[in-house]
Amino acid sequence: MGDSILDGIKVVELATYIAGPASGVVLADFGAEVIKVEPPNRPDPFRGGHLRGSDAPKSEYPYGYIIDNRNKKGIALDIKEPVGRAAFDKLVAGADVFITNMPIPTRERLNIGYDAIRVINERIVYASISAYGEKGPEAGRPGFDSTALWARTGLMDLVKPGPDSPPARSLPGMGDHPTAMSLFAAIMTGLFRRERTGEGSHVSTSLMANGVWWNGLLTQAMLCGGKVVCRPPRENASNPMHNLYQTRDGRWIHIIFNTNLHRWPEFAALIDRPELGDDPRFESQPARIENSALLIPILEQAFAERDFDEWVLLLDENRFTFGDIRKIDDILTDPQMFEGRVLRPIEEEAAGADYIVDTPIWVEDAKKIEPSMPPELGEHTEEVLRAIGYNDAGISELRDAGAIP
Amino acid sequence: MDGGILDGIRVLDVASFIAAPAAGTVMADFGAEVIKVEPVGTGDPLRYSLRGPGYGQSPAHHEWFVDNRNKKGMALDLKSEAGRAVLYRLCETADVFITNMPQGPRERLHIRYEDIGPLNDRLIYASVSAYGEAGSEAARTGFDSTALWARSGMMDLIKPSPESPPSRSLPGMGDHPTAVSLFGGIMLALYRRMASGKGGHVSTSLMANGAWGNALSIQAVLSGGEVANRPARENASSAVNNFYQSKDGRWFHLIMITGQARFPELAAVLGRPEILDDVRFATEDARLENTKALIGELDIAFGRLNAAEVRDALNGAGFTFGETYPISDVGHDEQYRASGAFRRNNDPRGGAEYVVDTPIFIEGEDKAEPEMAPALGQHTDEILREAGYDAAEIAELRKWGAVG
Repeated sequence: MGDSILDGIKVVELATYIAGPASGVVLADFGAEVIKVEPPNRPDPFRGGHLRGSDAPKSEYPYGYIIDNRNKKGIALDIKEPVGRAAFDKLVAGADVFITNMPIPTRERLNIGYDAIRVINERIVYASISAYGEKGPEAGRPGFDSTALWARTGLMDLVKPGPDSPPARSLPGMGDHPTAMSLFAAIMTGLFRRERTGEGSHVSTSLMANGVWWNGLLTQAMLCGGKVVCRPPRENASNPMHNLYQTRDGRWIHIIFNTNLHRWPEFAALIDRPELGDDPRFESQPARIENSALLIPILEQAFAERDFDEWVLLLDENRFTFGDIRKIDDILTDPQMFEGRVLRPIEEEAAGADYIVDTPIWVEDAKKIEPSMPPELGEHTEEVLRAIGYNDAGISELRDAGAIP
Repeated sequence: MDGGILDGIRVLDVASFIAAPAAGTVMADFGAEVIKVEPVGTGDPLRYSLRGPGYGQSPAHHEWFVDNRNKKGMALDLKSEAGRAVLYRLCETADVFITNMPQGPRERLHIRYEDIGPLNDRLIYASVSAYGEAGSEAARTGFDSTALWARSGMMDLIKPSPESPPSRSLPGMGDHPTAVSLFGGIMLALYRRMASGKGGHVSTSLMANGAWGNALSIQAVLSGGEVANRPARENASSAVNNFYQSKDGRWFHLIMITGQARFPELAAVLGRPEILDDVRFATEDARLENTKALIGELDIAFGRLNAAEVRDALNGAGFTFGETYPISDVGHDEQYRASGAFRRNNDPRGGAEYVVDTPIFIEGEDKAEPEMAPALGQHTDEILREAGYDAAEIAELRKWGAVG
């Protein structure tokens, strides 16, 4: 463990749900000691998310909590109690990084804003996530990735099958996880700066800024006075050769035939329509685009004659470029997900799975820490307190005051 | 530090399109010197590729500005021995080497980690691949639309109904977060180098970023759970957690997660209190039983109000809701500017008063002032001179087409 990159780095995490805690997981992967602080009576609401299943799948295993809280220590501590606050301050005094996703009014109420934390530890890298940014009229407003990242930035309005289609909601955590990578990168930038200057700093990201970054190209087109329109539905696609087609078994293939255009007769033969190869209406890409309305129904019929797996094999063997739209269940049997290190083995009975979805960065000669289960609420309370100098009497005092369970 | 956190860090961006170059943009924001190395004659295909329908049209070169601003540009023919020798010499003094070349071209051009690493043991080699650096598909090419969006299950799950055709991702939508992952990896390696003095090979992949984005659903499946497509809005399981469209076409997402208790108030503020008079909707139980019909009633209610009226009604009564913002709203959305998601641009060549900023902020650190991305080979001579080439040598390189 001594050879981990972040060995010796102590992180105090006062964060809930996904985006904040997930950045703690990345730090833990590379050897940081991450201490998750939860109020004894109000644990992270993301605990038990697997049982509620309101917008996410239900499961007997805490699949989401594992992803975002593995490899951490847990302390249950009520920082609203003065003795609890004193313990928290001690933790912060010895930490290198502080992570929070509390909305700004809550940070003020709990007195954990940057100014309050810096007084305790001026070398700390204070890392915060907000919904809409740390400044501006909406700085204090709470939000989720579905609202601040997906709906606010035009992504939700544009990622749909056609302009008249109703919008599609984002998936649970889909915007939080990349936002966690932004916060992780900000923390590393803050730690690097501290090595150079000796100074701590306040680093941050927001769900909205990440959404705008995802949608940066189209947003910049707007800022440059341009125009952005929702793509037409597939049956009216302007380019039939860059379009989605449904297979016999109801799956979808994304044909991307825009290079090696001389291979058109070959493509026509492959889809069992050899006569298209020398049909003057479709003889060139401009002609195919011009006659899109004629060609799309022909291709629809052709693709409906074989199953998805057959098409994937056939197109792949013949080296055509295409996208195969996978079902989530396909991931279980996708060798590249395993060999490409997207999934990492976990040897924990309680995980209910043999693999976890790994954090998406690798340093070749640095081994990531073996995945272990997230802490139970307050699992390491005593251990963490003893490490910052509490003895039996001090721990009893905290317990008597109700600051720890 | 006057020059920014990454002052003195030199980055070679031997990359094309979006995911890898954008990591260089983040570094330039924090003060690194980023040299974009492009093929002589053609340059990075991003210079002209994203111009078709669906990509956003503007009078400026908006995508080039976003992903390559604040860099120096150099044109180098890596297929020629002389060109490669120049690159290798630059590697001796560089801190970071960024590439997104697939493994085939990396091998052909002799720019694999095994080729570059030995030139400078402090160098950090940072690579983006489509499907990962290992495994049977390691060499396969791909875009964010295929490797990140289609492969991870997101494309199949994010649609208005199970029967709906899938939606394509937007240009660069998966590349930009992947770039931030790569940047995070680079900073991790630079941090390590401060103690160890050694560089290394850091990487990320489009597929891994897709799986990370969809991690919760994937992990549910890995632990034996089931993930299904959500029903269409007219068949939603809850009428009060659903999408509704205003008269002027704006979609609202009503989110009453606590259930039906406040429904009478909702019906009243939407101007249709009479819904409660119908026996099918008179009680909480009745409303739950008649969800589909109730969705129809709410469709009528929302359809009679324009967006501003819906917003006022829901805000006034303290209901939680989401709103589907069209991208055309960004021009007058104050919060983007105030929060720093957009940054002021003073370079007229950028074609806009603001540039979409990188999503990482450090209080008290000004990011580099935005400057238009370089023209092909704009700084070739300057960089060569700095690397110790004299005028005659530069002329010779140019004569043979090794630089441009």
